[in-house]
Amino acid sequence: MVGLTRRQLLGYGVAGLSAALLAGCASPALTRPGAATLKPAARAGERVTLTYWTWLKDMQQVANMWNRDNPDIRVNVVPIPQGNSGGYQKMYAALAAGGGPDLAHVELRTIPEFLLAGGLTNLSDYGADTLSSRYDPTLWGQVSYLDGVYGIPQDSGPMALYYHRPLFDRVGADAPTTWDQWADIAVELRKAKAWIDCFSLSDAGPFAAFATQAGARWFTRGAGGWEINLLDEATLEVARFFDSALDRDLLITGYGAFSPPWSAAAAKDQIASLTSASWADSILADVHGGAGKWRVAPMQRWANRGFGSSALGGSTVAVLAHSEHPHEALRFATWLTSSREGIDAEIASGIGWSPTPDYIGAARTQPVPFFDGQNYNEEIMRPAAADQNPDWEWWPLTFQSYNILADEFRKKAGGQSLVDGLRNAENQIIMAMKNKGLTITKAAR
Amino acid sequence: MTATPLTRRASGAAARPAAPAPRRPRTPGTHPARTILVTGILVVVALYFLVPVYWVVVAASKTSSDLFATPGLLFSGHVALWDNITRVFGYGEGIFGRWLLNSVLYAGVGAIIATYVAAAGGYALAKYSFRGRDTIYAAILGGVLVPGTATALPLFLLFSSIGLSNTYWAVLLPSLVSPFGLFLCQVYARTTIDDGLIEAARLDGAGELRIFHTVGLRILTPALVTVFLFQLVGIWNNYFLPLVMLSDEKLYPVTLGLQNWNSQITRLPEFYELTTAGVLLSIIPLAIAMVVLQRFWRGGLTEGSIK
Amino acid sequence: MSTHTHTVTPAPAARAASRRRGNPQRSTQAAPWLLIGPFLALFILTFALPILMAIVSSFQRVERRGLFGEEGVSTVFAGFNNYAQALGDANFITSIGRMILFGIVQVPVMIALCTLLALLLESASARWPGVFRAAFFLPYGIPGVIATILWSFLYTPGLSPLIDAAKIVGIEVDPLGSGMVLWSIANIVTWTYTGYNMLIVIAQLKSIPGDIYEAAKLDGAGPVRIARSIQLPLIRPALMLTTVFSIIGTLQLFAEPQVLATSSTAIDSGYTPNLAAYTNAFAYNNYNVAAAQAVLIALIAFALSFTFLRLSNRGSK
Repeated sequence: MVGLTRRQLLGYGVAGLSAALLAGCASPALTRPGAATLKPAARAGERVTLTYWTWLKDMQQVANMWNRDNPDIRVNVVPIPQGNSGGYQKMYAALAAGGGPDLAHVELRTIPEFLLAGGLTNLSDYGADTLSSRYDPTLWGQVSYLDGVYGIPQDSGPMALYYHRPLFDRVGADAPTTWDQWADIAVELRKAKAWIDCFSLSDAGPFAAFATQAGARWFTRGAGGWEINLLDEATLEVARFFDSALDRDLLITGYGAFSPPWSAAAAKDQIASLTSASWADSILADVHGGAGKWRVAPMQRWANRGFGSSALGGSTVAVLAHSEHPHEALRFATWLTSSREGIDAEIASGIGWSPTPDYIGAARTQPVPFFDGQNYNEEIMRPAAADQNPDWEWWPLTFQSYNILADEFRKKAGGQSLVDGLRNAENQIIMAMKNKGLTITKAAR
Repeated sequence: MTATPLTRRASGAAARPAAPAPRRPRTPGTHPARTILVTGILVVVALYFLVPVYWVVVAASKTSSDLFATPGLLFSGHVALWDNITRVFGYGEGIFGRWLLNSVLYAGVGAIIATYVAAAGGYALAKYSFRGRDTIYAAILGGVLVPGTATALPLFLLFSSIGLSNTYWAVLLPSLVSPFGLFLCQVYARTTIDDGLIEAARLDGAGELRIFHTVGLRILTPALVTVFLFQLVGIWNNYFLPLVMLSDEKLYPVTLGLQNWNSQITRLPEFYELTTAGVLLSIIPLAIAMVVLQRFWRGGLTEGSIK
Repeated sequence: MSTHTHTVTPAPAARAASRRRGNPQRSTQAAPWLLIGPFLALFILTFALPILMAIVSSFQRVERRGLFGEEGVSTVFAGFNNYAQALGDANFITSIGRMILFGIVQVPVMIALCTLLALLLESASARWPGVFRAAFFLPYGIPGVIATILWSFLYTPGLSPLIDAAKIVGIEVDPLGSGMVLWSIANIVTWTYTGYNMLIVIAQLKSIPGDIYEAAKLDGAGPVRIARSIQLPLIRPALMLTTVFSIIGTLQLFAEPQVLATSSTAIDSGYTPNLAAYTNAFAYNNYNVAAAQAVLIALIAFALSFTFLRLSNRGSK
């Protein structure tokens, strides 16, 4: 009988434990956005320690500047992998477990995804609305959702054209002002055994940025839910343009910019230009033997539509949902992203373009030797940051949507056009949104 | 992978019945032509296995820019191996050393306890008959076949809800279970531990647990070595479980830490040097261990297959 | 074995002895539970419960109201909805098909290679077998992630001496291109595990009784003949089982494609079934669909292993 009783006990134990566990954690990330209760500020003299997860390098040194002047609010930096290559996975996992850091590096495009997971603190509740005048209005628009503010803009990625002067000289070209000129130069470069750029089939980000420049607006927040439109005129023009360029074999598709094969090809002077964000300058500066050869020009425009530039990347400092000290976290985030001291220190850590139009950072007012003394930040990036598509909106499934797009773009190798890929992707994104329990409709076209 | 560190290519052969046999005597120098041919083939295959390792040694001794600018299999004029190694250990307050120690902790402690637990379980299943034994045995055999990665996701949810995720326990606890190890110990105990020996010990007044510790463990030793080595390599190589469970860099094993560096290469080219030198450093300990331990390994397997 | 030299105590004496010791029943009944208890507890915690949880959560789904769920979020019973979603996802099905293709090609190649190496090393013709055995086994000590980082450099055009060498011979290879990357992964797996499988085959070869060889030699059989008609049939069980475990391993592929995705555009976030489940759970927050995928992966692994074990048993009878 002893064995039987034991077994029964064991059985009951297992059943009870599992029931409790299943009830407790069958589906994590179930917090409703904006449902959190307000948390009080620390009392005078109370010491608060904040944890900050970011993939910018050497950020502890920046935080130490803050810690020196604010002994009661100590910030500890934990380095994490970049965004979707592991950083967000960690944040979601920590949130699901009911923890996570106070502050985290969340890209602009990812804010809605974290909102959907209930992972962010509404900073309006802690007085963030009064800060809006400090920041670029386009960026502020991308952190404002549902009458709340869910992140403090940290940097942005206004785009420009980086080009390899000797290679352009070899084919007798100047920096193009339109995409059509750019394609013509690409043809000449191919004859000279060089490539004008990559078209990464695994990352839809650049394509989305080009469409944004042309004036696309893929998602709209409507009263009855989301409205999607991947096939507006602007996007179709961009897709047709790259369909033609790829059909003529003008672009590298095997790898994307900044990947190891790209670095190797760039070091061998096979990459003639790069249409990318302001932060690409530091990566370019690491290319072996590139000093003095590269120049920066304004991004080439679409002939009849759109804007002078676009944006690639761009981040926020967000306060995650389980932070016990949102007041203090907001104070640090504001100092970091809008004070002169914070911005200058962050530039050394490799942030992109300053989110405050008033101050671009001391280092960026100077000519840069690598680019042969060109003062491109003042001359090109500053106007580019001001010439953006203000209507572009991010949506709660950006990463999955980009992957869906990339999957369709990969079929280009098998003969499917990018235009058809967009059409398929739109349907799949609608399915994915519905599977998430969201309401979505196709825009009237 | 995770909790079945019998690992992906684990063997079932160990449990196969086969008669113990004297080694087939080598007859040296039968045909010189054949010897040259066979050895030639073996040399070519050895190149396949060793050239990548050699490449790492070369790459780890180059600076990032030399890496792209000089021939891959030749050392460049400027040997930066020592600089790179110093940088690896100096980066992030010596986090790399911590990762190595973590790996040693996870693999060492995990493998020892897993071996002990599997031995006790295998011994119990082999030497006692009790209600539920067959059910338990069947369930554990099923465990051998469940891919470890299939349990890792729910395991993460489970551990999150009881506050174990992102702790040393999150990686250690699942590493303590080796269904394959228990299976091997059960087979070995059933075939090599004489019932009479146990009865004799009982007659001497020894308790059941004492008998296991004095008689059982001693006879099981060859199987224990095999289980221990399986588990050691399995945990050392583990990547998925720590990836899922850990968010604190200080808890990472070296596999996760290095991949963390590797994933930053596209943004920060300085990580080329760190990654290649880190790969070299992390290969060395287990490579030496493999070369030294392979004879034990084989011994354990062969004897484990005695029935 | 030394154990066989011990004398067997007669059973009646033992029974008499235990009668003298008070509560014999109790002690022998508790002992096995005490011994297996730790294993069982850990097994339940890390195998049984998670599997149970995966099954339960694979039948649930999350409902949201509002643009971001701000008007309400709830978990409801989903029936087979998640399974339908997983199986209706062309990419997931493709990834399973990809792994089956991978297994059909890579596993036989690796098994053939490890068998050949084992036979050569055990043949009388091999010089320095110990050195070669150590060299072949060495990669097994290199974790899959680290082996992949290593090989990813060797696959990168501009970095790789191998690609440069191929170019000199006039072959243009792109190991990271969409056509080749699967086989580049296969190469990493083969490189890592061949030596290990070889060791198992060698262990089985060494257990073949010497007199069988003597008899064959007396019949005038050469080394090739001996390999074909004596060694191969006798190591067949070992080969079948390494094959089964290699198949389970193939379905579990994760680290190699995940790491290579940094350098290759051809690898998407659902390249293997495991990678798809991981992405669903941790990048898309679709825990329920991921749970359904995990259950499906386990079921497929079960089905394949049982099929092969069945075949292997039938074959050896």
